[in-house]
Amino acid sequence: MLLEADFRARLERMALRSHRRVRGVWAGGHASTQRGESLDFADYREYTPGDDFRRIDHTLWARLGVVLVRLFEAEDELPIRLVVDRSLSMDFGDKLRVAQRLAGMIGFLGLAAGDRVLPFRTPGDRGAPFDSRPALRHLSSWPALEEWLEVTPPAGEAHLAATARYLAGQGATKGPAVIISDFLGEGLIDSLDTFGVVGGGVVLHVLAPDELDPVVSGDLRLVDAETGQEVNVSTTPETMKQYRAAVDGFVESVASRARRNGMDCVLVPAVAEAHELVLAELSRIQLVR
Amino acid sequence: MSFLAPAAFALAALAGPLIALYMLRSRRSRMVVPSIILWEQAGTSVSAALPWQRLKMSPLLILQLVVLGLFVLALARPFLAQQTELGPHTVMVIDTSGSMAMADRWNLLEERALSLAEDVSRENIVSVVEAGPHPRVLTAFSSDPLVVADSISSLSPGGGIERLDEALRLARGLETPDRPTKMLVLSDGGPAGTALESEPILNADHIAFTDMAANVGISAFSTEPTAEGATRIFLELANWSDQAASRQVEVAVNDLVTVVVSVNMEPLGRSRQTIPLDASPGDTITAHLLGDVDGLALDDTATISVSRPQANTVAVVGEGSAFLTALVDAAPFGWAGSEASDLLIVDGGPLPDIDRPTWLIRPDAPPPGITTVGTVQNVGVTFQQPGEPILDQVDLSNVVVAEAQLVESESWFPMVRAGDVPLILLGTVNEQRVVYFTFDITHSNLPLQIAFPVMGTRILEHLAGGGALTVIPELAGVPAVLSPPEGARTRVIRPDGLVDELAPGASLYRATEQVGRYVIEYVDASGASVATEEVLRRFAPTESAGDFHDLAVVAPPTDGGFSGELVREWVAWFLAALLVFLALEWWIGHRRPVKARSTPVGSA
Repeated sequence: MLLEADFRARLERMALRSHRRVRGVWAGGHASTQRGESLDFADYREYTPGDDFRRIDHTLWARLGVVLVRLFEAEDELPIRLVVDRSLSMDFGDKLRVAQRLAGMIGFLGLAAGDRVLPFRTPGDRGAPFDSRPALRHLSSWPALEEWLEVTPPAGEAHLAATARYLAGQGATKGPAVIISDFLGEGLIDSLDTFGVVGGGVVLHVLAPDELDPVVSGDLRLVDAETGQEVNVSTTPETMKQYRAAVDGFVESVASRARRNGMDCVLVPAVAEAHELVLAELSRIQLVR
Repeated sequence: MSFLAPAAFALAALAGPLIALYMLRSRRSRMVVPSIILWEQAGTSVSAALPWQRLKMSPLLILQLVVLGLFVLALARPFLAQQTELGPHTVMVIDTSGSMAMADRWNLLEERALSLAEDVSRENIVSVVEAGPHPRVLTAFSSDPLVVADSISSLSPGGGIERLDEALRLARGLETPDRPTKMLVLSDGGPAGTALESEPILNADHIAFTDMAANVGISAFSTEPTAEGATRIFLELANWSDQAASRQVEVAVNDLVTVVVSVNMEPLGRSRQTIPLDASPGDTITAHLLGDVDGLALDDTATISVSRPQANTVAVVGEGSAFLTALVDAAPFGWAGSEASDLLIVDGGPLPDIDRPTWLIRPDAPPPGITTVGTVQNVGVTFQQPGEPILDQVDLSNVVVAEAQLVESESWFPMVRAGDVPLILLGTVNEQRVVYFTFDITHSNLPLQIAFPVMGTRILEHLAGGGALTVIPELAGVPAVLSPPEGARTRVIRPDGLVDELAPGASLYRATEQVGRYVIEYVDASGASVATEEVLRRFAPTESAGDFHDLAVVAPPTDGGFSGELVREWVAWFLAALLVFLALEWWIGHRRPVKARSTPVGSA
């Protein structure tokens, strides 16, 4: 079970928000990039043949001699893109488990609010850059989403860039992306530029405590879990100092790249209560209400 | 600091291989990590082209070098050589006489002796001899400091007189032929003028303890009869300090406080008290000085018991007279020869050895304690000691003496005087009661007085102990003679409450150094008491003064192998330090806690 029953009960009273206008398939409760049929006046435009006569503003026509039609705001469902990194680098400590729980939490928030949830995991099976499921729109889909997330074994290298490009090509909808990854891999940070185009969102940067402050000693030959590359390291105090500086720089680079693309970024230590901490942080930055 | 095994320093060469191990590159252990990106940014990858690297000083290397150094030092057996008062064989003769309880003498002695015991080793063995009333060997040829210390701690000052001469004979018997034997006499030396003065102690050092403090003690304690047939006690207190003293004396009969009297004493003076008591034969009477404990607490308590009267016989030696014969005939005493009689009346003539209670009637020479300075003629009695039971209801005011000795005495009690001239005195010689007449009764009208037979009978009763005979306790340290019934074991309850179980058939109990009452129980095989008797021991009055003096000793020669050298090895300390550093090295090498960085979740 990804999420405990009492935690899910709390999530049912919350909803995910987007700081941008969205474009969904169905009507919903989020401000849309389209004009629609709501009661909220949005703008005027010149009449063109085929417009509904009932929207012509006769007062302005009489006063100005120009035929204008009234436009109103539209509200769409929130299309949530949920991207989970399941590369081999996530198979350290509790990173993958924490990522699964965070994805479950975000997915449940969307389903509970009647939003459209599109789950992705990278890499995909059988050499594909990513896997996805059809969009889910109701809480009745939660068991299927939970099972899909739970049976997400670690594999290969993450292909966040390919996933982002795919999403960018789906122009029919526009909504926030939630990327859950450690970003340990070549070019993963660059993929955030593409995710920014998709519709913003939030980056959950998951790192294990041992990665933030490793407990190692002696002379080591370190092997990259994804690429198999090796590096020799002598763990002197100076080395450890430099490593910690590199970690700080890495975390800051992920965060700054996210901000530059209009996304929020949350650093998540892979600990048992990470989902509670993240929920509190999302509430603080008003992505969850 | 020197070393018993300096060859062990060769092991210090192990430091070379140890340092070499640190210069040798270790084979890197392989470790899979999520990504090496961050480690590459740390920029510390090195190539292992050479098997050696520049020596980097690490805490582990320093600690391991320290551990190796301590190990080598421990193997080299470092030691410090110190001079000690002990010789190759030292016999410690420890004085446990009553005077050693004066002020802080015993504490100082014990402290010094225990300090010496710490120096005992296989090179400096020690024997311990107790120099009390019964000298004995406590420990012989011991190289164990704990055994010697236990022997010393088992000692305490008693109430007896030290017998240093016998103790030194015992010590001489312990001399070892293979190593020079040195005597260490730990004593106050006792009063000057002992037999030891003419025999310097060879190869000996005298460690003197001369601590002094003001002391008031009970110097004499006995019972005497009263005219009514009851009992009264005679108590003498001695003030050994040069300050006047005022004390209270509590007198208890069978542990029940009966009387408390106040006594004032001149500096270096004595005070004698006679106190009537309702005590019967068989009762135990205890006198105890109240108030602050003085310099010597042991002589602040004395105990006597009142025993049954005994039949007495009298003999008259010297000129004799019909008056004396009539007196003895009329009194409840029998006649006996001068050798076998219980009491002796000496009427003129030479002074005999006083080995029994004696009535001296102007002998040729006065007894010890009385000095004759002349004679006086035609004197009449002007003073009778008030309250004196011998003179109870006796009127001597009409007695006139033609000639009497003019005597002086500090220790005798003048019972009847003519002005300042003592006529009748009471005292003790050789622990025996003596009544001394300074005049020949036939040169006075005393025999013609109605008072003469009354007073004479009372004098004889006084000498015999009267209706209640006092048993003067023996001095502390005098063995108690046991008379266990057939097959009975003996159990002795000492004054301090401890119980000694004696072997069946024991006929003497020697551990009587304590002052007070010893209850002797004879028990049968089932543990039931079949008979009980009581033995009292008193403090030796000669010890109350706390006299001391330097014993005549001949110190051992400095070049005769008598001087001892104490070798104190430090191996244990080095090993302890080694273990500490070893534990520190292990902790740093394996369990050093890593300070975790605080990484709270938050927007980056």
